[in-house]
Amino acid sequence: TSARVCRGCSRASPVPCRMVPVRWSRYSPSYLEPEVKKEYYQKPAEELTEEEREQMNLKAVRPIKAAPPTLSSSVFSDPMISKFTNMMMKSGNKVLARSLMSQTLEAIKRKQLEKYHKAPENEKETIECNPYVIFHQALKNCQPIIGLSNITKGGKTYQVPVPLTDNRKRFLAMKWLITECRENKHRRTMMPEKLSQELLLAFNNEGPVIKRKHVLHKMAEANRAYAHFRWW
Amino acid sequence: QLHRGQALHTTARDGLSSVSSQDVPAGRPRAVFHTSESDPAKHTEQHEARLYDIPLEEVKAVFPHGLPHRFQQQIQTFNEARVMVRKPALELLSYLKSSNFSHPAVRYVIYGERGTGKTMTLCHVVHYCSRQGWLVLHIPDAHLWVKNCKELLQSSYNKDRLDQPLQASVWLKNFKTSNERFLQEIKTQKKYIWGKQESTEEGRPLREVVEQGLARVRSASDAVGVVLREIKQQSHRGSFRLLVAVDGVNALWGRSTLRKEDKSPVSPGELTLVHNLRKMVMNDWSGGAIVTTLSQTGSLFKPSLAYTPQELLGKEGFNALDPFVPIPVPNYSPREFESCYGYYLERRWLQHEKAHTEDGKAELQFLSGSNPRQLDRLAGPL
Repeated sequence: TSARVCRGCSRASPVPCRMVPVRWSRYSPSYLEPEVKKEYYQKPAEELTEEEREQMNLKAVRPIKAAPPTLSSSVFSDPMISKFTNMMMKSGNKVLARSLMSQTLEAIKRKQLEKYHKAPENEKETIECNPYVIFHQALKNCQPIIGLSNITKGGKTYQVPVPLTDNRKRFLAMKWLITECRENKHRRTMMPEKLSQELLLAFNNEGPVIKRKHVLHKMAEANRAYAHFRWW
Repeated sequence: QLHRGQALHTTARDGLSSVSSQDVPAGRPRAVFHTSESDPAKHTEQHEARLYDIPLEEVKAVFPHGLPHRFQQQIQTFNEARVMVRKPALELLSYLKSSNFSHPAVRYVIYGERGTGKTMTLCHVVHYCSRQGWLVLHIPDAHLWVKNCKELLQSSYNKDRLDQPLQASVWLKNFKTSNERFLQEIKTQKKYIWGKQESTEEGRPLREVVEQGLARVRSASDAVGVVLREIKQQSHRGSFRLLVAVDGVNALWGRSTLRKEDKSPVSPGELTLVHNLRKMVMNDWSGGAIVTTLSQTGSLFKPSLAYTPQELLGKEGFNALDPFVPIPVPNYSPREFESCYGYYLERRWLQHEKAHTEDGKAELQFLSGSNPRQLDRLAGPL
């Protein structure tokens, strides 16, 4: 007998192969989210509130979804850094993106520590050496307050100033940083070097990314007249 | 007998006089994991798992090449060079102190898994020997001589062998920086003819041979061969002690990725530099010691988990180096890990706020498996 071909994956197999969905909404609603924080399991039974006691009992009977690879129980994991690493990733090469991110953080730390050790005693407190603090502050400084949206009215498209959600602001800040490093720098400089330089400039409210944010703010200010075109 | 520190450059010798012989903290108290004893000759088990400081001028004089790249970056960032005193190094130093130099040179092979500190142990021993006034022949990485060579010339001395002018001239330059005094005092014992008009007479200082090799890059490999030969022949007289320190000695007997012009592979024995170095590593001379390190990291055609001498040296290399004293280098012990962790905290290298907690420390220990290199790489972004 000829081998039958599985219609889903077009491979020849004697037995029908079943595709089992593992992620996203293909889960039935009875599946619970995985809990990775150590503190949750280390709490003694007396301190639990009613909801938490119910949740613990539910965990004993309900199935649990598979944990995504980005979910980590490490004390050093940071969701913003993971998001930034994902945005830097190309073709799914998370290993490369993560190593670039750690090299960037190390480069920032080295530059700041060298400055710290060379500075006189009274200036030492002003120099920030923690790369995570610098990263978060730089992203916050790059976030725009107001954005522009294309609205077509009467055949013409207008750039209308529009409020941005928090997610959109964070996304724009990260996107601008990455595109700035990829496009407007010398071809032969390594990404950690470029990124660390940009992050340090953004931390001090200088640099091309901050300038782009200011340009966007000015355009929104200039197009104030069209603000009533927005209907949401 | 040459005096202590005579091999060092004048700027480095000034640092020797300020060495204190006790562990008394001077000025502000340094933590438990530091020691103020910066002379390796005085290191004992009491100093184990502690970090000692090498003055920066001495680092430039003793180690123009040879320190691992990440350690050099650390020296730059922290503005100081701190090396941990560990058991394998103490063992090696005690053997060197008690060895009889009229017997043939003993060979020591430092081996261990990847990233456990073999090169740093070698550097500790090199520092001790240069402080004691020995002539140090330090080859930083023998693997660099068997791969990525842009220029291969046919040797004028022997038609079958191949010269490597670039690698030889780089090594000669660094050798000159670290052993200025000896080059002036050791005299040649034979006349060497370099070309139609160039020759070095008998009785000239070795410095001229080195200058010749640096000036005429084509004959640099032959200059290296002459230097090695002269030093080996004169070491038994007792006017100086010789330390041959080779990092990555398994490169000398492995395979190479170099090819001749007709695309046939080159075996390491056909390279002049490797041929001369193999003769140096033989135990047919006296008045010194040979300390070598095995290394899988830069090696060619070896599996990544191989670390024992049998696997890395192969049959030919093992027979050539046999008999040798093996010195295994393990991962950090709990005390050494505490010491390294405390040093990173003190130097503000661990900036993450969770890294200062017990949880963070436990996580670092688990993730690195107490491996020095992994700990260094993990602590980088934190």
